[in-house]
Amino acid sequence: MTRLDAWWEERARRLARNAGRRTFLARMGTLLVGGTALPLLPVARAYGEGKKSARVPAPAEGFDGPAGDPKRCEYWRHCAIDGFACACCGGSATTCPPGTEVSPVTWVGTCRNPADGKDYLISYNDCCGKAFCGRCPCNRNEGERPDYHWYRNNDINWCAGARSQVYNCSLAVVIGQATEAQPEK
Amino acid sequence: MKKAVVLTLFVGWIAIASVSRAAESNAENYLLHCSGCHGADGRGVPGVTPSLHGIAELLERPGGRAYLGRVPGVAQAALDDRKLAALLNWVLTEFSQHSADPPYSGKEMHRLRKNPLRDTVSGRPTQASTKE
Ligand code: HEC
Repeated sequence: MTRLDAWWEERARRLARNAGRRTFLARMGTLLVGGTALPLLPVARAYGEGKKSARVPAPAEGFDGPAGDPKRCEYWRHCAIDGFACACCGGSATTCPPGTEVSPVTWVGTCRNPADGKDYLISYNDCCGKAFCGRCPCNRNEGERPDYHWYRNNDINWCAGARSQVYNCSLAVVIGQATEAQPEK
Repeated sequence: MKKAVVLTLFVGWIAIASVSRAAESNAENYLLHCSGCHGADGRGVPGVTPSLHGIAELLERPGGRAYLGRVPGVAQAALDDRKLAALLNWVLTEFSQHSADPPYSGKEMHRLRKNPLRDTVSGRPTQASTKE
């Protein structure tokens, strides 16, 4: 077996072990294929904000008003969030609350920073491991931005890559600058 | 564990920071449309998503060329045919140091993605008889 096929072998074993159970992959398989409303899959992993790197200009933060407050759904990075804002749950926009861990798979969108007028790639990583937070439920889907929420409706669990699959809250991590605002079409 | 996460975060950032502006928008499209599942480094997540390193080998297998355009994450990406073709070509050179010959065109992508794979396990081209 080549290295290229190793993941697939492991997957086949898993599927066999979990036969009958609706696993993430089984669901994803169905989901990704299904449907006329082809969903968008803008997702990215947990890459943090480059506290140490000066190579990508950091977005402006700390300005006044709800758009500058990570504890508000109006926070600029929350423009495509669907979930509980971690800043209200004992964490911050970039760190998971104690007792939870960041999911390795995630989804990505773009938001415009009102302070500098630039678009940024935002990764909405889920924090997993404790029952859902319940505070600051945010569900913004602004303007013509495409619908990033299909996967929740469709029951995909983005905590699948984490040790615990219980969803607690969502981060809003800047992973880069966007040259084009979403949507693509 | 925590250390590992921090490190990943940092390394991820560097990877992103090095996406230069001139580098077309394939790198950016990769981040937006693929990296969430396959990672910014394309290495995937064990048990969740496969690595994209070395996938050019699939081009050598019967049906491999079509497979890469029909696998759901590719076929259903929210990108137009031309950009998606460019992105797939980029992924091949970036993570496999190989390009498709000829490169995928928007037209070919248009045709392939109309018919996304339903069952990726049985639809994935198997390796030719030689073992590595
Ligand atoms: C929602 C998560 C997700 C997104 C987003 C995603 N993929 Fe995937 N990808 C998967 C999974 C899971 C598989 C395994 C096959 C399957 O079940 O679909 C896979 C398989 C693949 C494969 C086949 C690898 C092999 O060894 O056979 C390629 C190539 C690929 N993806 C490329 C991409 C590209 C390019 C993008 C961005 C345009 C992308 N994927 C976006 C989850 C994703």
